[in-house]
Amino acid sequence: METRKPARERDTTDRRREGIESPVEGFNERGGRAARDEALRGALRLFATKVVPARNATLAALPEAPELRERAYRIKRETMANLDRYLEEMAEAVEARGGSVHFASDGEDVVRYVGELARRRGAKVIAKSKSMATEEIELNRRLEEGYADLGLEIVETDLGEWIAQLAGDTPSHIIGPILHMNAERVAEILSEVAGEELPPDATVLSRFARGRLREKFLTADIGITGANFGVAESGTVVTVTNEGNGRLVTSVPPVHVVVMGIEKMIPRFEDLSVFTRLLARSGTGQKLTVYTNFVTGPRGPGELDGAEEFHLVLLDNGRSNLLGTPFEEALYCIRCGSCLNVCPVYRQTGGHAYGSTYSGPIGAVITPLLKGDEEAKDLPHASSLCGACSETCPVGIPLHDLLLKLRNRQVEEGMAGKTQTAAFKVFENTMKSPALYNISGKLGRAAQRPLVREGTVRPVPGPLRGWTGSRELPPLAPKPFRELWRGGI
Amino acid sequence: MADRARFLENVRHRTRTGRYKPTRAPDSVWTPKGAPVPDPIADPVARFLEELGAVGGHGARVQSLDEARDHVVSLARERGAGALVRWDDEELAGFDAPLAGAGVEVAIWRDLEDFRAVAGLADVGLSTASWAIAETGSLVLESGPGRGRSVTLLPPTYVAVLRAERVLGTVAEAVGKYAGGRLPANVCFHTGPSRSGDIEMSLVTGMHGPGDVHVVVVG
Repeated sequence: METRKPARERDTTDRRREGIESPVEGFNERGGRAARDEALRGALRLFATKVVPARNATLAALPEAPELRERAYRIKRETMANLDRYLEEMAEAVEARGGSVHFASDGEDVVRYVGELARRRGAKVIAKSKSMATEEIELNRRLEEGYADLGLEIVETDLGEWIAQLAGDTPSHIIGPILHMNAERVAEILSEVAGEELPPDATVLSRFARGRLREKFLTADIGITGANFGVAESGTVVTVTNEGNGRLVTSVPPVHVVVMGIEKMIPRFEDLSVFTRLLARSGTGQKLTVYTNFVTGPRGPGELDGAEEFHLVLLDNGRSNLLGTPFEEALYCIRCGSCLNVCPVYRQTGGHAYGSTYSGPIGAVITPLLKGDEEAKDLPHASSLCGACSETCPVGIPLHDLLLKLRNRQVEEGMAGKTQTAAFKVFENTMKSPALYNISGKLGRAAQRPLVREGTVRPVPGPLRGWTGSRELPPLAPKPFRELWRGGI
Repeated sequence: MADRARFLENVRHRTRTGRYKPTRAPDSVWTPKGAPVPDPIADPVARFLEELGAVGGHGARVQSLDEARDHVVSLARERGAGALVRWDDEELAGFDAPLAGAGVEVAIWRDLEDFRAVAGLADVGLSTASWAIAETGSLVLESGPGRGRSVTLLPPTYVAVLRAERVLGTVAEAVGKYAGGRLPANVCFHTGPSRSGDIEMSLVTGMHGPGDVHVVVVG
């Protein structure tokens, strides 16, 4: 990183209200601001230059990787085509093992379920392990506000998530939640908690966090996790963490609640041999995440630890709307984050510019699908359509095709705006008529004369400024090909 | 129950009535090239120890359970351990007296009044393992009576002892051991020390779980 702004000058706005439940307009403005933040871009560069080669190397060393990818795609396709059956099978398997299952159609439903559970248990401390689904529904804020009388202390236990929570910030990457912060900023945040000056040293800061969070693991009344996979046949919930917080949250507190998006389902336990081999390699370049933890119901007879109560909350929140539609493949995502790492747009703007829980290419696809096109209309355009995302995706989601389909849908819904519609009408008519086409060429050559400098068209004022300001527009040739042809080249 | 029926009916309706069926299977030409493909696993134990070392764990191969015990005792001495908590497993029963001789107080994972205090204060956690995975350097840990999850999680140093014939080749083989059957309440594929790279991508070990992980393979 070449330049670092002092931590206090950096943007520390409270972004908590920007989960998927709140509007996310304004990518262009936020993205523009982020792209000028040299420190942020340095951090993004550091992350991408470490993770992308590591991912490439571990996948290259796995000869069966292409076959695994294809199997992953087919397993997910089969799952979605029969999702009702698998959800039912999973629910029955969990109940047969003594767990409880709740079907939640939206975030409010989850908040109510967890809130009432906390009330019944007399809970004070809730320890959470990283979960995108609970970020999406803003579970922490809504529990604190909606169940204020319980005085709940809800603590994120993933190191990055905890620091983000302390700063009133949201995660900016699926795998690296605080990659937008430098060590100085982290030291500043944790020093405030410690009540003493902590140095900007990752080891010292992590040790401090370990001590503080250890207390929470040991005293938590309820542990909440997300799920990387839910296995229908056995009722098993799989969570992967490197820090071990996922395993701690499911092992030490007396109650374990899983909030799982319905798309996390896989039919059989043996399918995990496909997905576990792809997930860590794509996400971080590890062969396997440190703790790949499989929980099936509450603790068994004679066990001293593990939760005595196990609750599975299956969350829809708009997901089922995609089933059987041209956007269904967006549900195949296993949240490895590799499409973010290779995306030329994400690598300039970081995750916060997207204004949604899900950033990068998958965020640009899933956010308008879950929230509606009007709420996130910039996002399908936050892509150069280079296709790097589709290429890197370990389950083969055609991400850039989906972005194009979303743009199409915006036009069909009449969201394109009058100017754009009129401009394309003019274009259509011009291209249809040889006479108009001829005239437009002549007009264009006349109009560009004052604008051409050193072989390119200078940024033009007016509606085309956005386009010409950031791209090199080659000028029209002095003589069109047709004339050259006629004159005998 | 009405909620569940309605929820599932909605999902069923959408999967049945949706006309779009994704057909586009991903390209098979996908894998990045250029990294050496590892040799097939000829000696699973050797490969396991190598992979465990690569992720920052420490492996040792010994000939007998007695040697394993000596290894654990000297490790506890080196770490200056005052308290150790272990699984209630016959294989480990013979470790107690020599550990006590080395000044280590041994707690056994059964009938504990407060497991949090015992495991939380122990310097070393000691367990066996159901399987190990050569390909990744992982241990496969099953929960059960006498086999506490916290033993492998809370103490800063964690030692596992397992027999050489329990070392499997691949992750797929380990998954296959549980496929289609009744699973224990908890299974964990545990691969090396707990770690985090959240602060500026600097690798920190011992984040929440043990940072000091040892596996002693017997035979």
